[in-house]
Amino acid sequence: MPRAALKPLWSGSHIQSMSLYSAHSQAPGLRPPPRSLAHSLRDAHRRSELVHVQQPVRDKQETVVKNQVEKKRAVNTQSQQTEKTARRFSPDTFPLRTNQKEAPHSHIFTSVAAEMAMTPKVPEVRDIMRIERIGAHSHIRGLGLDDALEPRQVSQGMVGQLASRRAAGVILEMIKDGHIAGRAVLIAGQPGTGKTAIAMGIAQSLGPDTPFTALAGSEIFSLEMSKTESLSQSFRKAIGVRIKEETEIIEGEVVEIQIDRPATGTGAKVGKLTLKTTEMETIYDLGNKMIDSLSKEKVQAGDVITIDKATGKISKLGRSFTRARDYDAMGAQTQFVQCPEGELQKRKEVVHTVSLHEIDVINSRTQGFLALFSGDTGEIKSEVREQINAKVCEWREEGKAEIIPGVLFIDEVHMLDMECFSFLNRALESDLSPVLIMATNRGITRIRGTNYQSPHGIPIDLLDRLLIIATSPYTEKETKQILKIRCEEEDVELSDEAHSVLTRIGMETSLRYAIQLITTAGLVCRKRKGTEVQVEDIKRVYSLFLDEARSSQYMKEYQDSFLFNETQTPTMDTS
Amino acid sequence: MSVQSWTQSLQASRKTALIQDGKRKIHFLFSDGKEMAEEYDLKTDELIVRKWRNESTLGAQGPWQVEVGEPAASPVASSDDVIKENNSNPVFMRTDTKSSFQWRIRNLPYPKDVFSVFVEPSEKCIIIKTSNKKYYKKFSVPDMERSELPFDCSALSFTHANNTLIVSYKKPKEILTLEQELLKELKKLKGTGDGNADCKTQ
Repeated sequence: MPRAALKPLWSGSHIQSMSLYSAHSQAPGLRPPPRSLAHSLRDAHRRSELVHVQQPVRDKQETVVKNQVEKKRAVNTQSQQTEKTARRFSPDTFPLRTNQKEAPHSHIFTSVAAEMAMTPKVPEVRDIMRIERIGAHSHIRGLGLDDALEPRQVSQGMVGQLASRRAAGVILEMIKDGHIAGRAVLIAGQPGTGKTAIAMGIAQSLGPDTPFTALAGSEIFSLEMSKTESLSQSFRKAIGVRIKEETEIIEGEVVEIQIDRPATGTGAKVGKLTLKTTEMETIYDLGNKMIDSLSKEKVQAGDVITIDKATGKISKLGRSFTRARDYDAMGAQTQFVQCPEGELQKRKEVVHTVSLHEIDVINSRTQGFLALFSGDTGEIKSEVREQINAKVCEWREEGKAEIIPGVLFIDEVHMLDMECFSFLNRALESDLSPVLIMATNRGITRIRGTNYQSPHGIPIDLLDRLLIIATSPYTEKETKQILKIRCEEEDVELSDEAHSVLTRIGMETSLRYAIQLITTAGLVCRKRKGTEVQVEDIKRVYSLFLDEARSSQYMKEYQDSFLFNETQTPTMDTS
Repeated sequence: MSVQSWTQSLQASRKTALIQDGKRKIHFLFSDGKEMAEEYDLKTDELIVRKWRNESTLGAQGPWQVEVGEPAASPVASSDDVIKENNSNPVFMRTDTKSSFQWRIRNLPYPKDVFSVFVEPSEKCIIIKTSNKKYYKKFSVPDMERSELPFDCSALSFTHANNTLIVSYKKPKEILTLEQELLKELKKLKGTGDGNADCKTQ
């Protein structure tokens, strides 16, 4: 394929998805030479599909063709048609199109490569939708428990830690029940034993409807807001209220999407969307956000969609029945629906979940609800909060609303100071309080803001209110399993020997260090054009990057040649 | 709500009047938290604007909903707007005359025989339909709803000229008397000529 040579594809797991796009975006400045009928017949289906699916993410002037019902008739007049539709729908873009012809299949012809080099390279517009980033805990999909809350050895990305996972499962049931307010749980354990993973597992099993607020202990220290205000905002973010609200939605069948992108690849995109019902048709102007979400949802002509006018949320209802015979290549899960009737814009009652904090912000008149978007909410008066609490309780009694207590997760909880701890003591007693989960990796240490030593750096009176879940270090077998899961997540293939070596590294240094080596070793492997990471690759990255122990060792040996070596601080100061 | 109860709630509402730019502007605050603003021409006493503002369920202040008059143009057309109608689309607005409710729909470049306008008594609304399936509108008459008056098919008429469809509905005599009384009341309100006066109802 010449296309591979034409374009420096960026490496990694995205190659597969990228090549689809590149087939399209690679041929500016060309029009397809006349083709044989057989040729175009073969291509027709592929092309029509590509045009409609990939259209919104291409990086040039483009028009999604008003989708013809009689696709077959259009087969051997492809190029004519493109011109025709361009003239019909965007007269102003036509002159541009004459010198930048779209040639979706020109990579078939070998002469393309030569001409390609002449045309100026248009910078690739990368859309957010294609970048899937891998986080430290993105392999975790739940707690890995069965129906009887018995933990499976390996499940949903979780490995080992059976007792703590079981305990977390019990907590999870308590949260789902929603009756008990203000329970607090502490997950304590050495670094790298899966404390945050368990919290993430709880969050994942709760599903998107239950509020889960995560913050690190040091986040609440800000000059703009007092510590307690910040904590109470987090508390209220973790309580959801399900309530019915009327919103304006647009519901219709997509007739046409037209997106014009500046040829330079940067700058504002201009988009138009034509929707219809059985009775009417309307053209909408699209903002940038809308264009992005349309391409993310892969909306194409013939889809029946609803758009929430206020938030711009798009949901696809299915494909219109009139398009049922358009394509023969269609996913089995494609649903066919009737074209909507009547007016395009309707008022509908939708149930949605807002947090108590959002209601607070809306009702604190000093800022107005716009503050939600700017993020600058300031402090909220306690009177406002009391009013909201009363109102919410009233709604609940009237059956208008439902309270969903969620979870507040505070990582590195030893970073909180004495004032926060005493605030927590009080806040946990409120009946509108979420389940609080804290995590710490400290042993007996000084409570921040005091000179007292206490287990986990938490005052004894608060500890007394907590259920404590302990995590224990992973065994070798578990470490091996975790590394395997991470390899799958990071899309790196590991040979058996390399896997054992990496496991040993994980046991001797730390699990985190071993996980760090996966992608780096994968890169080294790819540089030598290998497909599977071998022991040599691991050795190489092991020699390139020091782990914590070797680094300390190195420091001790060469301390004298470092700067400021004569100043010695006895302990780290955290207050 | 019958004619009487609507009159009562109007009387019970807190009102602020202001005379500015040749218009008599009145702001009503009803007991349920709803706000209504009206603007009358000083010379002809015609209603130019009537708009409403409600509080949303969560307590946020909603935008003004225009019932009569030209919809307020957004101050700056930002590109961040999620989605909005293209300006080539039909524009629907209500502009009343003294004797009838009137709706004007601009940007409708189709011949008159395409349109059909009729009353749907069961849903208490008027429907505009096009045979070419380009435009469809179902709208109620809030004045009639507030006074709980029945619709009369013969009061409805429509014309089409200059790409504009004009639909008229003759005001029933209950509405006419109500409006006259209301105007008389409003004229009694002391209006300040100064725009900076405090609005007591807000």
